Amino acid sequence: MRDLVLMWRNTRMVVLCAISGALYAAVLVPFKVVPLIPGVTELRPANAIPVVCSFLFGPAAAWGTAIGNVIGDFFGGVGPGDIFGFLANLAYGYVPYKVWNALAGGRNPIARSPLSIGCYVTACLLASMQCADIVGWGENLLALRPFSVMGNVIVFNNLLASLALAPFLLYAIYPRVCRGRMLYQDMMPELRAMPRAVQLAGLALLAFGVFGAWVAGNLVSTGYWEPAFLPLRMVQAPYDGAVAVVVSPFILVSALGLGLM
Amino acid sequence: MPIYLYLDRETFLHRLNPSVKVFALFVMFWSVYWVDQPLALVPLGVLLVAAAEFTDSWPNFWRLRWLFALVILFTTLAWMVFYRRGPAVANLGIIHLSHASLLFGFGRGLKLAELLATSVLFLSVTKVEELTEGLTKLGVPYRAGFAIMLAFRLAPLFIDSAVTVAQAQRLRGYQFDRGGPLERIRRYVPVMIPVFMGALRKANNMAVALETRGFGRNARPTSLAEYPTRWPDVAACVVLAGLAAGYFLIYYAGYGAIAAN
Amino acid sequence: MKVERAAGPNVEAPTTGAPAFIETHGLSFTYHQSARPALSGISFAQRQGEMVGVMGASGAGKSTFAKCLNRIIPELEDGVFEGTIHLDGRSLEGVSVAELAGTVAMVFQDFEAQLFCTTVAQEVAFALEQMAMEREQMKKRVAQAIEAVGLRGFERRDPTSLSGGEKQRLAIAAVLALNPSLVLLDEPTTDLDPEGKVQVFELIARLRTSGHNLIVIEHEAEELRRCDRLLLIDDGKVAADAAPAQLLAEVELLERCGVHAPGLNRVLNGLGIRAHAQNVDHAEDMIRNRFAHRLPVAAPTPLSTELESCDPLPIDTRRVDGSPSGPLAEVRSASFAYPEGPPVVSSVDLEIREGEFVALVGQNGSGKTTLAKLIVGLLRPTAGVVAIAGKDIGRADAAGVARQVGYVFQNPDHQIFADSVEDEVAFGPRNLGLAPGEVKRRSETVLEAVGLTAQRASDPFLLSKGERQRLAVASVLAMQPRLLILDEPTTGLDYREQRRMMHLVVELNRSGIAILMITHTPWLVTEYAHRVVLMRAGRKLFDGGVRAFVSGDAMLARSSFRVPEVTQLARRFGAISLSAEEFVRWLKTQV
Repeated sequence: MRDLVLMWRNTRMVVLCAISGALYAAVLVPFKVVPLIPGVTELRPANAIPVVCSFLFGPAAAWGTAIGNVIGDFFGGVGPGDIFGFLANLAYGYVPYKVWNALAGGRNPIARSPLSIGCYVTACLLASMQCADIVGWGENLLALRPFSVMGNVIVFNNLLASLALAPFLLYAIYPRVCRGRMLYQDMMPELRAMPRAVQLAGLALLAFGVFGAWVAGNLVSTGYWEPAFLPLRMVQAPYDGAVAVVVSPFILVSALGLGLM
Repeated sequence: MPIYLYLDRETFLHRLNPSVKVFALFVMFWSVYWVDQPLALVPLGVLLVAAAEFTDSWPNFWRLRWLFALVILFTTLAWMVFYRRGPAVANLGIIHLSHASLLFGFGRGLKLAELLATSVLFLSVTKVEELTEGLTKLGVPYRAGFAIMLAFRLAPLFIDSAVTVAQAQRLRGYQFDRGGPLERIRRYVPVMIPVFMGALRKANNMAVALETRGFGRNARPTSLAEYPTRWPDVAACVVLAGLAAGYFLIYYAGYGAIAAN
Repeated sequence: MKVERAAGPNVEAPTTGAPAFIETHGLSFTYHQSARPALSGISFAQRQGEMVGVMGASGAGKSTFAKCLNRIIPELEDGVFEGTIHLDGRSLEGVSVAELAGTVAMVFQDFEAQLFCTTVAQEVAFALEQMAMEREQMKKRVAQAIEAVGLRGFERRDPTSLSGGEKQRLAIAAVLALNPSLVLLDEPTTDLDPEGKVQVFELIARLRTSGHNLIVIEHEAEELRRCDRLLLIDDGKVAADAAPAQLLAEVELLERCGVHAPGLNRVLNGLGIRAHAQNVDHAEDMIRNRFAHRLPVAAPTPLSTELESCDPLPIDTRRVDGSPSGPLAEVRSASFAYPEGPPVVSSVDLEIREGEFVALVGQNGSGKTTLAKLIVGLLRPTAGVVAIAGKDIGRADAAGVARQVGYVFQNPDHQIFADSVEDEVAFGPRNLGLAPGEVKRRSETVLEAVGLTAQRASDPFLLSKGERQRLAVASVLAMQPRLLILDEPTTGLDYREQRRMMHLVVELNRSGIAILMITHTPWLVTEYAHRVVLMRAGRKLFDGGVRAFVSGDAMLARSSFRVPEVTQLARRFGAISLSAEEFVRWLKTQV
């Protein structure tokens, strides 16, 4: 995660961070299309922006996505869940390019081979789930909404935008940004990737953490799994404490995995 | 259409030190966190209504009236699905309608609405630069604070751009609301590409303009803005600390919880 | 006179004893992945207190030259750089852009890209904060800079709420606060309306008086008359380096280099007087001297048709009235206001007939764009009716309107998105559900019309601004509208591109398409339009022929429209001419 710190030294990356954030917010605000759960979340074409920006601007997109989400909330009011919303969106903008790099190395993300498509889908899936895990876990931690509401809605919403819309945008924009030498690799040639084995180990931990958190969060918050190791008062509705205890280790593992990538 | 919620008024709350405003936000979140019982949330609600009246923030609340209603309604319903405690009064499918589940769901809906109201009030009396100043005081690095401010400044520009692009494409016979969810989300491509490319054209110019104004020349830039601490700030902090302690005592005394059966 | 057309060093020897303040030798730069150098061996010297104007067509190398002076090149741009720069005798080699920030300041064309803060005062203080200046000193500097640009009272305003001219003045204040030794202004008025342009040029004149070293890049030569020296750059080389009085008289040279020569000088040149006119009085004196007062004395110019008018231009197919066809667009007592806002358009009546060429003019905020959006159905009138071809637009769908009325936005980048020029043009016809064969036929036809057939497979984002503007027109034309609305179609284009765009519009008009052109550029109105509609505060102030428009003193005084100097000059001789060529032709018949 050194790149998340190093990028602040580069003025262009600071600007791209602001631009990623403003773009995300700019599409988020006027184009809230179809409410999926009214008052909870909508079908948001804006959710394609973090994925596209991630492939283009790397760490600047991660911070930009987090900032953009805050701006979006500024139009409709922030809440304590937004502390987790900030982290979740940071992950949503950060995971795609990290996963892509681990799986596909320096390959062009718009190549139309089955391998590329597979890598892209994996990157989007992990990013969407990581984002959903953090929001679901956070809101549960603050005793606001059940994990299984936000945890599933966000996965669906993010995946839809990142698979149905982002590829078209990426296909149109990536070659142009590449030609303008505005990719994060051009801006920060000093960035060095971790050894491949370490990246893959990190990816495995990320995937384990992300899936584990999602499955455990869903099972516990719906009452299907009442872990025997927890005190009885925790394994009854609303399961706030149980979700926190069971999901937290998975979240930590996924963060560790990201750190290794 | 006003984009941000800030209302330029000369009230006591507007004039508070930004750090005190951030502290107030934290105290409200803290107080809400400890209680689920709707009755226990009433004093906070009264406080928020008084503050809204005092700061004349009603236009913002009116603007978001549907969001408040939907948040309360759907949070209540969502918890009635998962909080399956107390004898059911009626059989409504997946919704467990009992006195306890209704009270619990409504309490959490009210909590969310009060948090939303707190944030609307905060945004009604706090400028973006005060927020970044507050964040900087909390230890957020200068460049990150600057990126946040820049993103806030750029977002309205990009929103204008997105609206214009959507108009331009409509005038070329393009319809956004055709097809199912997948098709509808994909139909945003002709809007998002021009907005994206316009933003990228700006990025390079901005980075260059920043450098020519000395950005990055000094690791610790000074600030024109002054936010002195005055006696009303101290008094506000004392009252807020009392509120935080009071709500913890309500929790500790067991008045904040809901009897499940 | 010394007008050089040199490729090698051509630094003029100082005419006063003042030493060169900034000096460059052999400046060359080739951008990354470009085969052609943007700058080739530019040598230049500027003396203390001088104001130098830099002219040239788009892509000539003007901005590249300015960027070299404050080290943006080679510090922030990839490419091959050669040459030396000395500032006050000190070499700038190895100095960073940020280090030079307090010494060489730059104001850019795009004002939105150089404002970063949320209040005016903070914007001005931004660079001082970066210098870690103490607060009390900073406050003084901020107040001085705000005062200098005439923005006192705006300190707490959000920069986004300012007009274009105010934003650009704010950008200038933000660099003035640094007390720089040299201020570079790179086309600071290109994106501004006439009022904003006047504000900025007045400010530049004040800066010059107060002794600032200034370099102003501009492609409108008329605005550079107040400079001490002019540098004409063509294809990366210095084409001429001389005093304005000398260089601006070289009309052919300027136009060959893609610079719009001052209209007065074009008149003089057409009459065989190779001289530079400082203003309309000066031009009149020269013409009267040359023709020994054989010309008529200025006649009173009431708003009437009694005035002697000139023959129309060859490209002009003016038909103000009497067109046999019925109205294509009709606006009847239309008003519009945003919710809870004041009226933006109030009780406007307007008719546009087949084949007309109407210029819609007025200050920013006068309701021009709103009126155009009412006509195209993007906005619905809050009162009154808008009808297209006799049908109430309120009852038509967007696609139906698109077949009748095309709207080209000011910024072509607001609609371009496709991978190729051809796809971009085909987008509209495809949306109308036309058969592939018809889509292809229309694409080919309109690409041919706008001169982009050769670039049909190109990426639209690689085209020049002028080409992108023509592509935007083509993509709307492919819908085969009967009325084409153009919102500021020449903004940001250099003189050659402006002429090319206008020739395209005239050709379209000749083919039968009615044109409604929103513009701030006076010479476009006088040289090309048939009819003028002047808006002011949401109301229609004038609607009639161009000649009547430019002779209506009282009405013009109430609007911000600056009648072109050539037309003002013609009126001194009792004529109403709409272009330099027309006036020259008329004068020749009189002497």
